Amino acid sequence: MISFRILDFFIALLYLTGALSFLLGLIYSRKKTQDWAVIVTAAGFGLHTLDLVLKYALGLGQVLTHNQFYISLLAWCFLLCYFFVWWKLKLKFLSITAAPLALLIFTGSLAISPTTLPVPGLLQGLWFSLHIGSLFMSMALLAMAFGAGISYLYLDRKIKTKTKLSSVSKDIPSLQSFDKANHIAVIAGFPLYTVGVLSGFIWAAFTWKTIFTWDPKEIITMVIWFVFAWLFHRRISGAWRGKRTAQMAIIIFILSLASFVGINFFTETHHSLRP
Amino acid sequence: MEQRIYLFGLNHKTADVEIREKYALSGFNPREQALINSQGPVGEALILSTCNRVEVLCVGNHDREEVQTRVLATWSNYCGQSQDVLRDHIYVHEGQNAVHHLFSVASSLDSMVLGEPQILGQLKDAYRKAVKEKSAGVIVNRLLHKSFSAAKRIRTETAVSSSAVSISYAAVELAKKIFGELQDQSAMLIGAGEMAELAAMHLLNSGLKTIMVANRTPERARELADKFQGESMCMEKMLDNLHRVDIVISSTGAQSTIINASQIKNILRQRRHRPMFFIDIAVPRDIDPDVNSLDSVYLYDIDDLREVVEENLAGRREEAARAMDIVKEEADKFEQWLQSLDLSPTIVDMLNHGESIARKELKKSLRSLGPDVDEQTRAAMEQLSQSLVKKLYHAPIVFLKRRSREEGSAEKFIDLARRFFNLDDENIPPDTHQNRKRN
Repeated sequence: MISFRILDFFIALLYLTGALSFLLGLIYSRKKTQDWAVIVTAAGFGLHTLDLVLKYALGLGQVLTHNQFYISLLAWCFLLCYFFVWWKLKLKFLSITAAPLALLIFTGSLAISPTTLPVPGLLQGLWFSLHIGSLFMSMALLAMAFGAGISYLYLDRKIKTKTKLSSVSKDIPSLQSFDKANHIAVIAGFPLYTVGVLSGFIWAAFTWKTIFTWDPKEIITMVIWFVFAWLFHRRISGAWRGKRTAQMAIIIFILSLASFVGINFFTETHHSLRP
Repeated sequence: MEQRIYLFGLNHKTADVEIREKYALSGFNPREQALINSQGPVGEALILSTCNRVEVLCVGNHDREEVQTRVLATWSNYCGQSQDVLRDHIYVHEGQNAVHHLFSVASSLDSMVLGEPQILGQLKDAYRKAVKEKSAGVIVNRLLHKSFSAAKRIRTETAVSSSAVSISYAAVELAKKIFGELQDQSAMLIGAGEMAELAAMHLLNSGLKTIMVANRTPERARELADKFQGESMCMEKMLDNLHRVDIVISSTGAQSTIINASQIKNILRQRRHRPMFFIDIAVPRDIDPDVNSLDSVYLYDIDDLREVVEENLAGRREEAARAMDIVKEEADKFEQWLQSLDLSPTIVDMLNHGESIARKELKKSLRSLGPDVDEQTRAAMEQLSQSLVKKLYHAPIVFLKRRSREEGSAEKFIDLARRFFNLDDENIPPDTHQNRKRN
C-alpha cells in the first residue's frame, strides 16, 4: 500500500512539473522547455498506466468497485486523448489544459477516502468497458475540445480586435488547428457518449428492470446528450464551425464536469462516488 | 607589429545611395586578391558589398594609415572614383571595434530593417568568395565563423528577428495564425496594385495552393495570373468566385466599397463557414469594415497592418539591446583568442593544459593504489607526471618557436596548435570519436 502511495506521489509530481514547465515555456517562449514539459507529462502518464494496471492486477478486479480507481482512470483518459491529438494534429499546445486537468483530477482521486461502490456482479465487464470506458473517453475528448475552444476564442478575439499578440499568443497554433481538434472531439465524442448512455440503459434494464429511473445523474446526462447531439448535428451539417462550436464545446464540458463533481459527489444517486 | 583587424565601410547611415552605387564592389570577384597581392600592409581581406553597405575587412601588421591608404587606393581605383570622396564617407573600425561592428552586421543589428535575415546570407557569400580567392587566412576564417555563430546565438536567444516588419510579411504571418500552413489555401487578388502583388508573392512563397486575379482590365489580370501561374477573371465574376478562396487581397482604385457584409454572409454559407481573411490595401477602402464583425471572417486594412509592423519593430528594438550584450560577449571572446595567437600565451596554455591532465591522472592512479601509498612513491609519481608533460610538450614548443621566426606563418601554426590541443576549450561533438571506439 505504501509503495502505491509513493507511486501516486511521483505521478502527481510529474504532472505538476509538466504543467508548470509548459506554462513557463509558453510565457518565456522557450520551445525546449515546452518539449521537456511534454516529456515529463508523458513520463507521468507512463507511471500512471503502470499504477492502474498494477492496481487492477493485484486487486484481482476488486478495484473496479473502488471510487478512487475511477477518478484516477478519468485523469488517465484525459491524457490518453491529449497524446492522441498531439500525435495526430501536432497540437502540443493543448498541454496547457490537459496536464493541469489531469493533475487536478488525479490528485482529487488521492484526496478522497476510498469507498467500495455497490457494483452488481452481473454484467460487470460490459458495464465497465462500455458504460464507463466510452463515457470517460467522451469526457476526455470534451476536455480537449474545452482546451481547444478556450484557445480558439482567445486567439480569435486577438485577431479580430487587432490587439498586440503577447509572447504566449505568438507560440499559439492557428485557429484552424483548434477547430480541427474541436471537430475530432465532437465527431468521435458524441457517438462515444451515446454508446455510454445506451449501455447504461441496457445495464439498468437488466439490473433494475427499468430503463430510466429519474436518477439525477440520468436526467443531467440526458440534458447533456441533447445539447451534444445538437452540436454534433450542426457540426456535421457544416452550419457551424469555429467560434460557435468552440463555445458549445466549452459549455458541454463544464456541464459534464459539474455533473461529475456535483451529482456524483453531492447528490443522492445510484451513481454516487461519495466517500 | 602584431596582426590587427581593420574595417572600412560605407553604409546607409554614412553615404546616400548615389555614393554607395559609385563605390559598390560587387562586380569584382578577385578584388580581395588585389588588396593583398603584393608585399603590402594587408595580409588577409574580405569584401562585403550589398545595396546598403560596402565594407572591406582586412588584417595587417602595419599601422592604420598604411593599411587605409592601400585599401582606399585599390577601392577607388577599381570603381574609377575619387579617393577623397570615399575618404569623406567611410567609417573606420580597428581591433575590437571592428570585431564588434562585424558581429553586429552579421546579426543584422546594423541593418536598415533591424533583424532582417538577408544580410547573414550575403556575408556568407562574401566569405565563400574570399575563401575561393584565398584571401581569408587564420584570422578572417576564425572571425567570420565566430560572426556566424554569434548571429545564430542572437537569433535563437533573442526575438530580434522573430516578427514580421513589412506589410506583406505581416499579412502572411496573420494568414498563418488563421489557417496554419498555407498549402491547402487559395487567394484572390482584386485589383493589381504593387503592394498587393508583393503580398501575393509572399503568400505564394509561403506555400499557398492557388491564386486568382480579378481586375478591371482583363489583359492586366491575365498578365498577373500568368506570373503567379493562377487563374484570371474580369471584375464582374469576382463575387461569384469569392467562395472558392480563403484569402482576399484587395487594392482597386474604386471610390467606394466593392464588397459588403451581406454579400460575404451569403458566401460564407456557400463555404460552409470556412474562415476567410481579407487584406484591404486600397485607399479609399474596398471592403466594408462591417465584414470584420462576421464570425470566421477577419479583415485587416492598410492601417491595421501598419500598426502590426510598428509594434513588431518596437519589439525588435527592445530585443536589440539584449542582442548587443551577446555581441559584446562574443567580441570579447574573440579578442581573447586573438591575443592568444602570440607565442608566449600559447606556450603557457599548452603547459597548463598538460599539467592539468597530469594532475587528474595522478589523482586517479593514487586513488587506485589505496590509502597506504608511502610518501616516497607519491613524490616519485608526481615527479614522473611533471617530467612527462615537459618532455611531451618540448618538441611542439620548439617547433612553434622556430615557425614564429618565419614571416607570415606564426599565426597559422599557433592556431593549429591551439586547435590540436583544444586550448580554447571548444565543444567537441559527443560522437566525434565514435568510430574509433567501435574499432
